[in-house]
Amino acid sequence: MQQVDVRGLPPPEPFININAALQTLAANDTLKVLIHREPYPLYDLLRDSGYQWQTTALTDGNFEILITRALCK
Amino acid sequence: MQIASLSTEQAPPISVPLRYFAAAPVFLIFSALLLALSGSNPFADLRSGAQIAATHHITLGVMAMVMLGAIQQMLPVVIGSPMPASRIVAWLTFLPLIAGVLLFSASFMLGKMFMLDWAWTLLGLSFLIFIAASLLSLWRATAQNATKTAIFLSIISLAGAVSLGLLLAHGYAAGLPLSYPLLATAHISLALGGWVLLLIIGVSYQVVPMFQLTPNYPKWMTSALAPALFIVLLLKLGLLPFETMPSWSGFFVECLFWLLACSFAVITLKLQSQRRRRVPDAPLSFFRLGMASLLLAAIFSLAALIWPQYSDNLRTLSALAYILGFALSLIQGMLYKIVPFLIWFHLFRGGIKAIKAGVPNMKEIIPEPLMWRHLWLQCATLLTALMAPWSTEVAYLTMLGLLLQGILLAYAIYIGIRVYRHTLKRLMQA
Repeated sequence: MQQVDVRGLPPPEPFININAALQTLAANDTLKVLIHREPYPLYDLLRDSGYQWQTTALTDGNFEILITRALCK
Repeated sequence: MQIASLSTEQAPPISVPLRYFAAAPVFLIFSALLLALSGSNPFADLRSGAQIAATHHITLGVMAMVMLGAIQQMLPVVIGSPMPASRIVAWLTFLPLIAGVLLFSASFMLGKMFMLDWAWTLLGLSFLIFIAASLLSLWRATAQNATKTAIFLSIISLAGAVSLGLLLAHGYAAGLPLSYPLLATAHISLALGGWVLLLIIGVSYQVVPMFQLTPNYPKWMTSALAPALFIVLLLKLGLLPFETMPSWSGFFVECLFWLLACSFAVITLKLQSQRRRRVPDAPLSFFRLGMASLLLAAIFSLAALIWPQYSDNLRTLSALAYILGFALSLIQGMLYKIVPFLIWFHLFRGGIKAIKAGVPNMKEIIPEPLMWRHLWLQCATLLTALMAPWSTEVAYLTMLGLLLQGILLAYAIYIGIRVYRHTLKRLMQA
């Protein structure tokens, strides 16, 4: 599983870093993102680009997002 | 807590917030022209017709204009709940707001008070649609955070301020025997102390740590400040009709309000001093100027309580520091952060094609030297405004400052829109 940690980075760096990591993500791999706030606008980008994701709010106030390619129907 | 991966379209089209941001500087220019047309020194009497018209150009045409656009942009980002029918809501709030402000000022400048009935109908329509759409968006949101609470209380305050404003406007138009000073005090308290302050607090909880890389606001503040301020405002309104109440009660409530407002300013300045990247940043400096102005407004208002014989002058200075210093600095500073980010974000959403073709760096969208020039101009305008009540010559310098600021802000937003359009065209051709 690939991991990208964007906690504490100012906009738009989290977006850029997550996007760069997605470019190298293998078809059956998962990208784990650690981020300091829930990135609602990222969800639009993921949906438009054909990814699915699951967000978990961590107890320390950060968020963990697991991103995979959406299955083709 | 786990969140499903299916969501509806979150961000509104870029045209939704940008139309408000592009219109706001035009009203800043108009406000300067209205003040210049007044014939005497409008800063010497804040209740003069020209001053009321110009003040509402700033509070409605600039401040509310930007705040309405910003809320429509922020709700999906901060609480994950977009405005319903964002394009329709945008047109139905934007156009009546413009027409309403113009009619409002025309009625005061021309002395045709019957036109206030047209103005309040349009302004009422604009705010009614905005308030209903925002409340629906807040109600639908599953996210629970301090920003959501502050925005909710801010919008409730707006509803109260608008209702009282409509009553005052209709009262003037129809010559009704209303208690105007009392209603005006309640209207101003809810508008400036509720709608403006609570919204700025709620937005700061997100924007300050996010863009300025500061630690988060302390938990006690995010959970208690906005509700406490709202309760104090309600107490203040509750005391207004009772002239027989002991004077210490009003004194106590006003002190409490300014104490809470000052705690926000002090904590924000402290957090900004702890930011992780200590590089000069014009929007951050606008923010700091705004916080210093809020403290100044508090000092003038508290001094007015202690020395009632100078109350008129001190309250004028407090109003100038609050509107021109606190609100205008913060709003313009936030625009210089939000507009480049929005443009970058909407271009970046073009996906891989956009990234390969090249999306401009966020810092290159509006040139930083322009922002710094605007900041110094804002400092000079504020300084002259605080001397303007005593000198007509200085008052003209304030008007010139407002005029130049409007032109500079309009130019900055025009540059941003031009970069967006050019880049979009290039991406389409790539």
